[in-house]
Amino acid sequence: MAKPAVRLQFVERGVFLALALLAVRAAQVQLLEGRRWAEAAQAQRTERIVLPARRGTLSDRHGTPLALTQETYHVGVAPNELRDPARDDALIARQLGLTGRWQEALHKRYAYFAGPFSALEVRPLRSIRGVHLEPVVNRFYPAPELARATIGRVGDDGYGASGLEKTLDSLLAGRSGSAVVLKDRAGREYESPARVIAQPIAGHDVELTLDAELQEIAQRALDDALRRMDADGGDVVMLDPATGEVLAIASRQRDGTGRPSAFIDTFEPGSVAKIFAAAALLALKRVRPSEHVSGEDGIYRLPGRPPITDEDPQPTLTLADAIRVSSNIAIVKFAARLTPAEQYRMLRDFGFGVLTGIEFPGEAAGRLRPPSEWTRPSAASLAIGYELSVTPIQVAAAYAALANGGLLLQPSLIREVRSPEGRVLYRHEPEPVRRAVSPEIAAALRDLLRGVVERGTGAEAALTNFPVAAKTGTARRVVNGHYAPGQYTASFAALFPADKPQLVLVVKIDNPHKGSYFAAQTAAPVTRSMLEQALAARTVALDRARLSTAAPPATAVPLEDDGGVVPYVVPWPYQPDSVGARRRQTVPDVTGLRLREAVRALHRRGFRVALKGWGTAEHTWPAAGDSAASGATVTLFAEPVTPAAVGAIARRRAKR
Amino acid sequence: MRLKGRHWVAVWLVAFLAVTWLVYARQTAAIHDARELIEIRARRASLEGHKAELERRVRTEQSRAVLVPRAQAKLGLHLPADSEIILVPLPGPGTSPP
Repeated sequence: MAKPAVRLQFVERGVFLALALLAVRAAQVQLLEGRRWAEAAQAQRTERIVLPARRGTLSDRHGTPLALTQETYHVGVAPNELRDPARDDALIARQLGLTGRWQEALHKRYAYFAGPFSALEVRPLRSIRGVHLEPVVNRFYPAPELARATIGRVGDDGYGASGLEKTLDSLLAGRSGSAVVLKDRAGREYESPARVIAQPIAGHDVELTLDAELQEIAQRALDDALRRMDADGGDVVMLDPATGEVLAIASRQRDGTGRPSAFIDTFEPGSVAKIFAAAALLALKRVRPSEHVSGEDGIYRLPGRPPITDEDPQPTLTLADAIRVSSNIAIVKFAARLTPAEQYRMLRDFGFGVLTGIEFPGEAAGRLRPPSEWTRPSAASLAIGYELSVTPIQVAAAYAALANGGLLLQPSLIREVRSPEGRVLYRHEPEPVRRAVSPEIAAALRDLLRGVVERGTGAEAALTNFPVAAKTGTARRVVNGHYAPGQYTASFAALFPADKPQLVLVVKIDNPHKGSYFAAQTAAPVTRSMLEQALAARTVALDRARLSTAAPPATAVPLEDDGGVVPYVVPWPYQPDSVGARRRQTVPDVTGLRLREAVRALHRRGFRVALKGWGTAEHTWPAAGDSAASGATVTLFAEPVTPAAVGAIARRRAKR
Repeated sequence: MRLKGRHWVAVWLVAFLAVTWLVYARQTAAIHDARELIEIRARRASLEGHKAELERRVRTEQSRAVLVPRAQAKLGLHLPADSEIILVPLPGPGTSPP
């Protein structure tokens, strides 16, 4: 046994060694591994959370929201934390709409309901202990069925999954932010403000070219037509020919899939394409207006293809007659004067066989084979709209070129892009693709189309007071690579009004089963019905000032014999007369001001502003100095800034 | 008068308590504000949800699908044919209004 002094020394050394080891370990933990442990501690006590960015709003051309972002919630329930389980369970089940099997989940250790549930649904649950709300931003469509296929949807991952939501995803999505919150040992969040690392940046707001009211008119008219005709599907496209802006686009299928077929499905246009053969004939001066061809008693045989027939045989026909009565024989005979290259080039110039460039994912280009791939009957087939596949949007764009003096414009769905602060980042300007025909030829072609409605196959689309130009097309349908017997596609392309058109309409009805299958009796009346509704609608983007001059004078209007009752048209939506009893304001003189300043000056007086032209403010209607009701629309006429315009404005101002 | 040792201790103690109280008060106020902020955010979200729901209902009620049949059935109105629509021509910019 060692002496006590030795034992003590042994103990002392042991303690010293232990302390030394402790110091070494402390140095190791603090100095060498300090950063790692600090990070581990930080991770244990804090949590980095994602602050979702607000997805931009999609609205129509009048600012009516079509897609918004809204805060919704996932709901978690910890039953053991509930104060009064019986009462709380009943309330939770009622608010979340839980029944049977789902209600049983409330008796588990922790129940989680993904929902998402709206703020209204979860409001009564906020004060219940044991209910944990997890906010999550969600897409909300105020009118879910309006332009559904065009607008598309957002996927579960928060990114655009289809339609414009997909095309515009990078603009709409914004950038998520992040923040750090404090947690206790059990992982529960402290009630302390989060430390924001990066603020979320909201997405841009996009104003579409669509007009919600026209869109509704188009959808309803198409739905009614498909139901009445028991058709397989159909499309409606409405386009502003001056800008290429798509005002309405509706697609319906019998199976209810809501496929955006106006962009992605192709069809053989049939007689609707005859006008483009006529365009080539007129542009290349291969036909004189008085020139006639024989109608061949309604049957014309060509080698290598089935006989060409006419429904309404005529003894002789001019080019205008061929378009008016939609004669296959006459147009084939006239088109024989074109070389394949000329025929092909004209169709190509009107945009067939290539993408229109519209901002829609998966747009189809259609098919127009080059002359090197043509067979013997191809020229005749193309003249009457076969061996050519097109989309409704291509037909609308091509007819818009006829309405727009022969200039083909790229159709567009985007009108304006604004930053979250309201700064305009992009504004749609008409984008010319090419000149398809000269303005004179375009005017001549519009005259031919006018004849179709006034005295030809499109008579069912005629309006009493407004001239319409249009073309019918009834084509056999291809099913599994062959023409299906008894199946047809009826299509109708119209310009409204015939002079200085403001609207191009394309209606396509797939395989109507009930009644006639001819476009003259199917698609044409649908067009007339839509035009009547558009005229009666108050907010539709039609320039009524120009329309009023297109209409015949009031004395010439044949009023219906209704016992002297003056028809009174109630605009939709109804605006009570009391709205008109508003304070009157003097219209300010904005001549010579920049547009932004002029608009601001008019807004300050409480007027709405309708803009005509671009550049510097030239004059207004009502004129400066006149009075108008607050809230009334003042039309602001602008003109490009040229030295002559500046001089004219200065002279006018000096005169005043 | 020179402060003695125990006075210094008292001064330091008071200073410590004052600083501690200040920190405590600020933390309490921050937590109170955070709660209020959460409450206000929740209320705003709730109101926005309510507004969106009302807007949806207004849009539905204003839609042609609802209005047209009601106007036809209850008021005997009809969608006008184009012959029933009279657009009054606007005078040109140079002429005076009627």
